[in-house]
Amino acid sequence: MSRSDLGTDPYDSVEDDRWIASASASRGEIDSLLQGAGYRVCSTDLRHVAIGLEQLESAMVGDQCVASSAEAIHYNPSDLTAWVDSMLSELAPDPHLPRHPHITATANTWADPTQQRPSLHGLENHHQHRSVPAVSLQSMDEEEDAAIRLVHLLVSCADYVQRGDSEMAGSLLGQTRLALARVNTGFGIGKVAGYFVDALCRRLYPPPLSAAGGGGSAANPEILHHHFYEACPYVKFAHFTANQAILEAFQGHDRVHVVDFNLMHGLQWPALIQALALRPGGPPLLRLTGVGPPSPDGRDALREVGLRLAELARSVQVRFAFRGVAATRLEHVRPWMFQVAPGEAVAVNTVLQLHRLLGDRASPEGGDAAAAEPIDTVLAWIVGLKPKIVTVVEQEADHNKPSFLDRFTEALFYYSTMFDSLEGGRAGGSHRGGHHHHHHQQQQQTVAEAYLQREMCNIVCCEGAARVERHEPLARWRDRLGRAGLRAVHLGSNAFKQASMLLTLFSGEGYCVEEADGCLTLGWHGRPLISASAWRADDDAALPCDHQTLLVLQDHSSSVTSGSNNVVDGDDHHLRQHSVVRNNDTGSGSSCSRV
Amino acid sequence: MLTREEGEEEQEEEEEAKGRRRAFSINDNVDLLAEILGRLDGRSLAVAGCVCRLWSAVGRRDSVWEAVCHRHVAGGGSSAAGGGCSTRSVVAALGGYRRLYRLCIGPALDRLAGSAGGRGSTTTTAAAAAAHHLSLSLSLSLFSIDCYERLGGRQQRPASLLFLCKPVDVS
Repeated sequence: MSRSDLGTDPYDSVEDDRWIASASASRGEIDSLLQGAGYRVCSTDLRHVAIGLEQLESAMVGDQCVASSAEAIHYNPSDLTAWVDSMLSELAPDPHLPRHPHITATANTWADPTQQRPSLHGLENHHQHRSVPAVSLQSMDEEEDAAIRLVHLLVSCADYVQRGDSEMAGSLLGQTRLALARVNTGFGIGKVAGYFVDALCRRLYPPPLSAAGGGGSAANPEILHHHFYEACPYVKFAHFTANQAILEAFQGHDRVHVVDFNLMHGLQWPALIQALALRPGGPPLLRLTGVGPPSPDGRDALREVGLRLAELARSVQVRFAFRGVAATRLEHVRPWMFQVAPGEAVAVNTVLQLHRLLGDRASPEGGDAAAAEPIDTVLAWIVGLKPKIVTVVEQEADHNKPSFLDRFTEALFYYSTMFDSLEGGRAGGSHRGGHHHHHHQQQQQTVAEAYLQREMCNIVCCEGAARVERHEPLARWRDRLGRAGLRAVHLGSNAFKQASMLLTLFSGEGYCVEEADGCLTLGWHGRPLISASAWRADDDAALPCDHQTLLVLQDHSSSVTSGSNNVVDGDDHHLRQHSVVRNNDTGSGSSCSRV
Repeated sequence: MLTREEGEEEQEEEEEAKGRRRAFSINDNVDLLAEILGRLDGRSLAVAGCVCRLWSAVGRRDSVWEAVCHRHVAGGGSSAAGGGCSTRSVVAALGGYRRLYRLCIGPALDRLAGSAGGRGSTTTTAAAAAAHHLSLSLSLSLFSIDCYERLGGRQQRPASLLFLCKPVDVS
């Protein structure tokens, strides 16, 4: 509609009377014509749009065309004003460009970013605090906008899922994927969001049962765990802190028995064996009972770990005996399987295991006096063992809230912090070492992320008995353990110093160890992610369990054949018992009877 | 008479000279050499091992590395007492002090020195200062984990100490 014959400014509607007359008479017509053509723009905005279009044209064919359209958010082209603004701001960042004050956002799912920004800005700062390479302010803002929008979409999608509206959820999921394409998925919120989008997808459209293996990957969980162990200090921190507490609790005892609820590769125990070997007064007789899942391919993984630990113990001359208990679920384990001998000092060690025994919370207030959850039975028999120390390490997060949306949001923030720490730790350590080392670290980080992804998937996709990642914060664990009859033991300053030293060595600058009421927490940039605490049984709260143990010992002595596995019948048909390795010697390592 | 005196004098001079030369050779006094080498820091000791075969042999003695480890790490003060014997046997079983230094203490000290700002001052004082926080027990714990990983005879190389950044592994 340019009328160049009118004079200087063809768009100045005040110039020509005829133009004004024709315009005012048919303004309503123009509006309706535009709408008929599919444009959502009112005629009063047309001047602005036209100016914008001219500038757009000059910018596109001009030499200052910047091809950075990957990160920009473009409005719906039918909304001409907003679309033109966004195109211009991307191609020709011009501070003098007047941003259109009112963006029509009626039926639009793209909400006004200027309103959103202050509320979630803290969130973005929290997630994107690493040094961003020098880019123009506009694309940084757009990056933030995109990330904020992504989080919003994710949370809205989860909301629809909770309400059961799978259609809306599905369509939102599609939009989320689009938004994901515009965010840098290499780090920060983009990376985590990708995993969460996949998890939501899996929840909405569950794959056939054969493929759903609680995360889908056929990878050995122990291998994943091992890479996670190496990629970040959380598990190391857990092991070292627990070992310190166990060591202190075992002072003065000649026969000690450690029960490990999840043996894996047994990486926690070499350090304890070595520390016991060096303790003043000489090492005690150490028995270790390791609980773990039965190995699928017929190998006896528990026994292999036991043999390796026995070999190490033999080399440092610590009398050592190992027993493995294979159980698919922790609640199937019974105390008599540990065969605690009277007079032994018992330590129970659970690293990231207790939360698997929790169930759904009855009400939002967290009244869990409802049904007897497996956790209560297990805690009861733990107390019955009269342990000198119970070391509990758990994730510091609330992923067991009754509402799916709450769980989802919490998990989103928790795992994005986790992923940040993985990234930060790797970046901090990679300034030393060669290219090969860097590549190895990258690999490790990827596998560690796969480990975390399993957890995330479980939290988002599974319900009921299948959901095992029911993390609860330390405060709730304190209550629970207190009610079960356990009293807190303060982790000493040695544990704190050791943890701090470990972190200094571990390279990541953002890790922080904090002490809270005798418990230690390890976190990233002020957000605690894992907590370690120690407990002991109250003397009067212990049940008379020795009786049971003795009876069972008698039973067992009659049915134990040399070296064979005992299959436990009854309800616990998933279980097998092994009596494994026993080191009878104290000096020369020549005779080592292997059962 | 003169010639005999002269001959004797010459002989004495020769013997004196020889004695002087012999007294100054550190290579004749291997224990002294070991004592001296044990007062170096790890890198200097490794460099000293390149001087000659004798020095290389002495520089590989675990007792020398034991002294180096204890000097650089807190908690080594009890080495003189009876506790030292059991420590020695445990460390020997896990692989020896030289290996302990190479795998754990050395990289840890490097890391600590690096994180302390990398100031160009004498590395020994900086290392010593940082080492007071690094305890022998922590190093031994890490060392035992590494030893344990190698026990299994796994195909992949044990990686639990990789976080200490050892780029080259020449076993």
